[in-house]
Amino acid sequence: MSTTPGPAAPEPAEHPAEDEKGGKGTDANVERFRALAELDPDDPKRAALRGDLVADHVDLARNLARKFDRRGDQLEDLVQVATIGLIKAVDRFEADRGNFYAFAIPTIMGELRRHFRDTGWAVRVPRQLKELHVTVAAGRNELSQKLGRAPKPSELADHLGLTKEQVYEALVASAAKQGTSLDARLAEPAGDRFGYEDDRLAEVDNRRALGPLIAELPEREQKIIVLRFFRGLSQADIARRVGVSQMQVSRLLAKTLERLRAALGEDTLAG
Amino acid sequence: MSEVETSPVARTNGVRDVEVRVWADAEQVPLLRSFAADIAMRLDFDLDAIEDLRMAVDEACSLLVRAAAADSALLCWFEPEEHGIRVRVRVDAEHGEPPSGDAMGWQILTALAATVTETVEAVDGGHRVTVELLAVPGPGEVDPR
Repeated sequence: MSTTPGPAAPEPAEHPAEDEKGGKGTDANVERFRALAELDPDDPKRAALRGDLVADHVDLARNLARKFDRRGDQLEDLVQVATIGLIKAVDRFEADRGNFYAFAIPTIMGELRRHFRDTGWAVRVPRQLKELHVTVAAGRNELSQKLGRAPKPSELADHLGLTKEQVYEALVASAAKQGTSLDARLAEPAGDRFGYEDDRLAEVDNRRALGPLIAELPEREQKIIVLRFFRGLSQADIARRVGVSQMQVSRLLAKTLERLRAALGEDTLAG
Repeated sequence: MSEVETSPVARTNGVRDVEVRVWADAEQVPLLRSFAADIAMRLDFDLDAIEDLRMAVDEACSLLVRAAAADSALLCWFEPEEHGIRVRVRVDAEHGEPPSGDAMGWQILTALAATVTETVEAVDGGHRVTVELLAVPGPGEVDPR
């Protein structure tokens, strides 16, 4: 872990034991941690020192929290979780172990990971089921590679040595992993949800003209167009679903678009 | 978790016919979608085919919910067959506009299911609109053309 923030104050090494821990043996905090350990738990000075130590390292917690932020949680929530980890680190750190950061970073990371393990699910699910979900997700990837298509639940069960019921449970649980607020759903404009009213009115004519043209396309071309533009699948995914090579999907798409353009008349599509 | 032994009749398909009746309301659609996915899973559809059916049922129900008369019911039948599952969704509507009138919704539906048909019948005081689709367990089972 090379993310130790702030330069450690170059302090003369008073304690040989710290030097053995390597380059960062001269942690400026060591003295304060030693003082913390020596103070009586009921001493108000202890509480104040503890608070100072936490406050002085809150940037560390914030930095680590930021690393996990991409998963879509609120950063502030993560900072709180990381801060709890930091408080634990301050409480448990033994000054003789030398470098506080070397102890605090894994402690805070552990707290963040536990947060994701226990609360990363929108719906509370027993731990055993979460582990099953991870196993099944890994098996799905392996088998997809091997079979060149999505596996069936029975194949997953065979592959993983699970019963089909266990696979079912894991699949149902993963579908529930991200809940959607009913309010959020209601707040969505209906046009968005069903994709049928387009507020870009300038395109309406083209789109209306396009409908019958698409309907006239051969079935395979139609399917490719729908998968590509309406469902946003990649060419590789389409190739897998339609059962042709990706090159062919690419060629068919180009050809079909050309055909649609020609049928609409180039000038119509100029906009 | 013990596996419950099912009767031999049920075992050929694993699942028997299912009939679900909900309010014809957009909030009920996720329920039917989950039903469809669960049944497809138990019929051993591959995972992509399960997702396809989930979306197809979502689309079919959404098309019908929009057409449905106020305070009416959405009926849904899931009928496992030898080569897949047949899903029928039905509402009572005031107007007899076919669901395929929504070109994009219909395109999505036909892309997701092996076959899709619609029927509009005149009934007392309105219309009965049905969408029927057949979904298959995955590319292993069909000629991918």
